[in-house]
Amino acid sequence: MTDKPIDKPKARVRPKEEFNFFQDQRVRSAFYQLLTAGIVGWLAWYLISNTAHNLEVRGMNTGFGFINSSAGFDTDFKLIDYTPGVGTYGDIFLIGALNTLLISFLAIIVSTVLGFFIGVLRLSSNWLVAKVALAYVEIFRNVPLLIQIVFWYIGVFSLLPKVKQSLDLSFGAERVILNNRGLYMSTPLPGDLFWMTLATLAIAVVGAFLYRRRAHKLQDTSGKQTNTLLPSLAVIIVLPVIVFLATGMPLEWDVPVLKGFNYVGGTSVPPAFLALLVSLSIYHAAHIAESVRAGILSVNKGQSEAALSIGLKPGRVMSMVVIPQAMPAIVPPLISNWMNTVKNSSLAIAIGYSDVVSLFMQTALNQAGYAVEMVGMTMAFYMFISLTISFFLNIYNKRVQLVER
Amino acid sequence: MAIIKAEKTPDRSAPVSETSVMGWLHKNLFSSAFNTLLTLFTLYIIYLTASGVYGWGLRDATFAAENRRECYDYSLTGACWAGVIDWLDNIFYGRYPREEIWRINFGGLLLALWMAPLWMGRVKGKVLVGVTVVVFYPFLAGYLFSGGDKGFFMQVMVTGAIVAFAINMANMITGLTKNMGLNAFIIQMLEQGKAPDKTQRNILLLLLAIAFAAAFVWQVNWTVEGVSWTKWGGLFLTLVISGIGIASALPGGIILALGRRSKLPIVRVLSTGFIEVFRSVPLITVLFMATTMFPLFMPEGFVLNKLVQVIIAVILFNACYMAETVRAGLQAIPKGQFEGAHTIGLGYWGTMGLIIMPQALKHMIPNIVGSFIGLLKDTTLVSIIGLFDILGMLRSISKDVPWLGLHKEPLVFGAILFFIICFSMSKYSRHLEVKLSAGHKH
Repeated sequence: MTDKPIDKPKARVRPKEEFNFFQDQRVRSAFYQLLTAGIVGWLAWYLISNTAHNLEVRGMNTGFGFINSSAGFDTDFKLIDYTPGVGTYGDIFLIGALNTLLISFLAIIVSTVLGFFIGVLRLSSNWLVAKVALAYVEIFRNVPLLIQIVFWYIGVFSLLPKVKQSLDLSFGAERVILNNRGLYMSTPLPGDLFWMTLATLAIAVVGAFLYRRRAHKLQDTSGKQTNTLLPSLAVIIVLPVIVFLATGMPLEWDVPVLKGFNYVGGTSVPPAFLALLVSLSIYHAAHIAESVRAGILSVNKGQSEAALSIGLKPGRVMSMVVIPQAMPAIVPPLISNWMNTVKNSSLAIAIGYSDVVSLFMQTALNQAGYAVEMVGMTMAFYMFISLTISFFLNIYNKRVQLVER
Repeated sequence: MAIIKAEKTPDRSAPVSETSVMGWLHKNLFSSAFNTLLTLFTLYIIYLTASGVYGWGLRDATFAAENRRECYDYSLTGACWAGVIDWLDNIFYGRYPREEIWRINFGGLLLALWMAPLWMGRVKGKVLVGVTVVVFYPFLAGYLFSGGDKGFFMQVMVTGAIVAFAINMANMITGLTKNMGLNAFIIQMLEQGKAPDKTQRNILLLLLAIAFAAAFVWQVNWTVEGVSWTKWGGLFLTLVISGIGIASALPGGIILALGRRSKLPIVRVLSTGFIEVFRSVPLITVLFMATTMFPLFMPEGFVLNKLVQVIIAVILFNACYMAETVRAGLQAIPKGQFEGAHTIGLGYWGTMGLIIMPQALKHMIPNIVGSFIGLLKDTTLVSIIGLFDILGMLRSISKDVPWLGLHKEPLVFGAILFFIICFSMSKYSRHLEVKLSAGHKH
């Protein structure tokens, strides 16, 4: 045997592996995926073909043509013009969707404000206050929302005085009336020159904002503090009032007036609306309070101690140091709570507030059929809202993540 | 020369302001003028609420009356609990035949006994207890509640449940008294401790087969009267729906969560889509879909009853929420666990089933209890689509002729009932959380 020159080791030694069809990673993954897709596809086809067959056998109508056909029923609460017999099912869907959005929007605002308030109270140094806040959270979180909604509707807002003995919430001015038919409010009717007041208000707000920014800059550069709150408020309130008076008060009020058996005029909301608003706000405030509390507790204690030691007052420590740092921890659960508020507003159906589910998915569906299309449209509506909200949440999360702590 | 004191100077006691009741009051309630004001204001609010609730719910309330008129005769401002008391059976059991109610109670007792070993430190084989209760109990309870004729499959499952329950109880007794598992105890009794493993196993299997055969022969003659599901109602129905919901949502959620974390794109996209669709719509729309569209999905002539439709909807809905709980649990498992499992040669299912899932599930127990609370509360929604669950029953009281218009008291009673159940469960889950995380930290 002669000495062979030693081979230089190759850069990468790959053992020659026999290609085994059943052991190959890619083949297996493709197989499992095709299998899943096949099963899901078959199931979908099976359900669709059954549905098509059933619809044919029962002689049910299909397609979205019904959207333009007229709906023969009325609803007690609507934000757009609608006449039964003339308005279409498309209008009905729009009315329901707007009603859902309105009640959710209001409930979100009230529950967020109330939730932050209670969440801060939960951490109060006053033992009694903290315990009361705890009791609020535990009671309203552990009772089903539906029971709360029905209770507020039947137990409170339906037991209000009759029309003749209405409560006047505007201290004798008869501008805001509450009775068992609902809440009646005066509506402003802007006159010809009212736009000038609005324009002045807009200019005043922008001016106050710029002034505030300049004051902040001044503080950053020179350390001089300016009181911005009072001048801003003065500008925002006084200027529009002057313009309003100068243009001859071009604003009328549409006041609800008792005519026959009911109040006419102004804006009114039915008791179901009030019951839903109150119960949604209270229920979700309890949940929001817990996430606010958790968020505040997640801020390092040294932050508030340091803020106290440089002489900030406890209230300012909370609002300027702790809460801003707690926000990244509070916002995601807060927004998921908002999403739940939108979804839970569908419980309106139990008390007859005409939201999209009770108006479109129940009443319209019972009137016209089209089960598949109507259920699909309602679900698509909720999915659209959820996707929109998560889109904004993702943007927020990205922005917050940039700030490294 | 140094002065040395032989005894230790006794500790000075804490200042009075730190230990006394007055000190505590000062610190927590009256530390400043503002705080004092706040305390007094809160006390006033508490007084108003408490006196209102006491006056309405206890002082002026009627507990015994034949109808609502008698309540009014007694007091106009107090609660009329007599109506709720009169309907108590309906609230708990719905329209279930009165002479058959023992079956529901017995079913509940069986479940409690079956699961009791899970809380007993000395009893062995807890995983088996958990698995048998999920696999067999539903069939036994299902037959106990609905009754009627058993098909062959049902006969086998009921037999399995009886055997599993008996073994479980025997195992609990040997565990508590002798501190050993049932199998070890039997082997010891038969003095086969020295016999080879194979012989021991064969003996146990033989005994199991005998027990199964005996139970099978016995159950053939054990029948209970059929009760239609339309008679089910009240808290019982609520618990049935949420119980089945949570038990089936867990495996469904595990599968969906694994699908969402899968490396296979098609599987991932399908699971993600399914989860997100059901999570973005309200439960009530899913329930409506179940009642209006499921009949269309089924082949012609195949009719699902409403209860089954609702249960399917609840399972689908909750599986998607459970999937997110499971996913969170999976994300908490450190990467080293996956890598370690791969290193010792485990494949995907081995890694997941033996290494990852057991750890993840243990940490998820508090969240699963939380989901169960949510599901229990959500189940009240089935009253909207016409099932007489607890809320449906509570609302029917006001339509009963003697109690016409009695709305508030039943709802308050329902609220209290739910509060007790949900609050104690959430307290328990928090306790578990602390216990589990403490066990994990060292």
